[in-house]
Amino acid sequence: MHDGIAYVGTVDGRVVAINSSTQSKQWDYTITPATTIYTTPIVDGDLVYIGTYSGKILALNTLARSQDLPFPQARYSEWEWDCPIENAKSNAIVADLAMSEDALYVASSNGRVYSLDKGSGDENWKREDIPVLAEKLWTSPVIQGNTLYVSTFDGYIYALSAETGELLDWSFESEAGFASSPVIYEDTIFLGSFDRYLYAVKIGGDAPMWKFPQEKPAGNWFWASPIINEGIVYAGCLDGKLYAISAETGEELWQFESKDPRGKPAPIVSPPVLIGNLLVVANEAGNVYVINPETGDGERIKNRENGDKSTINAQIRAPLCAHEGLVYIRDEDNRLYVVDIDKREVSEPISLTTNE
Amino acid sequence: MSPGDIWYLIIGNPVLNVLIALSHLLSGSFGLAIIVLTIIVRLISWPLTKRQLNSSKVMQDMQPKIQELQKKYGKNQQKLQQEMMKLYKEAGVNPLGCLWPMLVQFPIWIALYQAIMRALATTPENLLDLAHRLYSWDIVNQAIPLSSKFLWLDLGQPDPYWILAIIVGGTMWVQQKMTQAPAVDPRQQSTSRMMLLMMPLMFGFLTLMFPSGLALYWAVSNIIGIITQYFFTGGWGYLKFRSPFQSTQ
Repeated sequence: MHDGIAYVGTVDGRVVAINSSTQSKQWDYTITPATTIYTTPIVDGDLVYIGTYSGKILALNTLARSQDLPFPQARYSEWEWDCPIENAKSNAIVADLAMSEDALYVASSNGRVYSLDKGSGDENWKREDIPVLAEKLWTSPVIQGNTLYVSTFDGYIYALSAETGELLDWSFESEAGFASSPVIYEDTIFLGSFDRYLYAVKIGGDAPMWKFPQEKPAGNWFWASPIINEGIVYAGCLDGKLYAISAETGEELWQFESKDPRGKPAPIVSPPVLIGNLLVVANEAGNVYVINPETGDGERIKNRENGDKSTINAQIRAPLCAHEGLVYIRDEDNRLYVVDIDKREVSEPISLTTNE
Repeated sequence: MSPGDIWYLIIGNPVLNVLIALSHLLSGSFGLAIIVLTIIVRLISWPLTKRQLNSSKVMQDMQPKIQELQKKYGKNQQKLQQEMMKLYKEAGVNPLGCLWPMLVQFPIWIALYQAIMRALATTPENLLDLAHRLYSWDIVNQAIPLSSKFLWLDLGQPDPYWILAIIVGGTMWVQQKMTQAPAVDPRQQSTSRMMLLMMPLMFGFLTLMFPSGLALYWAVSNIIGIITQYFFTGGWGYLKFRSPFQSTQ
């Protein structure tokens, strides 16, 4: 979301700009050759950056795209970068990009992280200095100061120099792989694991500060990255529950169970968002809930327009975007919904496909 | 419960979870897990295989009688065929019996294909789908995600060097040749010869298209088949045997 425009990547490989006030399509750009987009677009000034499953990073200029000019337009600072293919390994970009003042950081399925100049797309690091961190990287790097933290599916957290890409002294090893991207809060990294625990790891430490749940593991993986606010970690789990946990102790404060239309727990794939003093969480079955972050009391947003089988009649897996009292939700059928949280109302779906 | 749910409950999910658990026990090697699973499947289907081997052995022992019939009714193909079928019936064997163990393994191939695609998760959707199908066993959850590397292969992709295709096609031809009884008339003989070539060629071709993890299963399964056949029947079976029809020609 930037300057009243919502930018969305679609599963059929297009970037669509939606005007939030008119809820109409401003422009859309289809990436060729056809590919899938798993990353969330990030915006800096007039440039929209997006990664593709075909291993490309594109910098799209909003002015050039609204005029539908051929891509890339150098005079509009547009560029395209191809991720190297090594040893026939996939170069797909699945993880969200990280951005600093000057650089973009890209985790690739080839196991390496790249730093690109935001203006030109040139690589900032010498390729020979870039280590292979894992068989594939699908989790996003997170930057703090001059250090980049990367979690891996084989259970490591690595610290890299943001200047050179070289590995720094500290790393953390866990028995199980990490399923979610790391989130940093007050020098502690929070992330979910394939062993059904959420981990809190102090940067520089060699043992987890805590693991949640404290006794037996949760019902499934913590796939979505948690969010942290005022010392409380809010973590959605594929077992259908949203957990509120003390960031300091790992103690459970409350839990909220989301349901599918048949009343069974439905996985939470998208990270929750905070909007004003409310939490909003969506589950894979298409139900959206507004939750009081202090008590964990929640209310499902109803949608009588669609017969109220669920809030949205399609799967929700993409991250939610909160802006000025509205939450933007893209479903897996390539439609965008705007949910007014105060009114508990869901907009008419905005089609993100080309022909509608 | 839909037929799809029943499939996953009975075959799909057990194969997936056993494969992942085996992978964890075998130092994270998914390739070794496929090999061990193949051995387990062959052990489970042993009663069926044994029946097929028995019938193959009986048919081999019947060859002198078949050749006698060939000499006697060589000029009357219809009669020859009738007598041959009578002989098979009396001995309680079916010349196409060797196909049954293969057909019975068909659901396992489908389950294995699904398990490989899910376990190696080439897309985030595959990985999310995997989360819904795993048992809550620690051994399974600690093994995720799996490495797709095994020898020169990426088990989620077809073998780019065709080595596995040649192994699968070659071993399948040998195994079929060992078990397939000679034909009784020229028409049957050409069908039988075509079958002998078609199946290995088809599987060799499929190996070029399917993930090499599945082809690894086929290759190991064929090799086990050849070994058991060799020791059970005490030799190479029909591999060195000429068709009685060919000998009269």
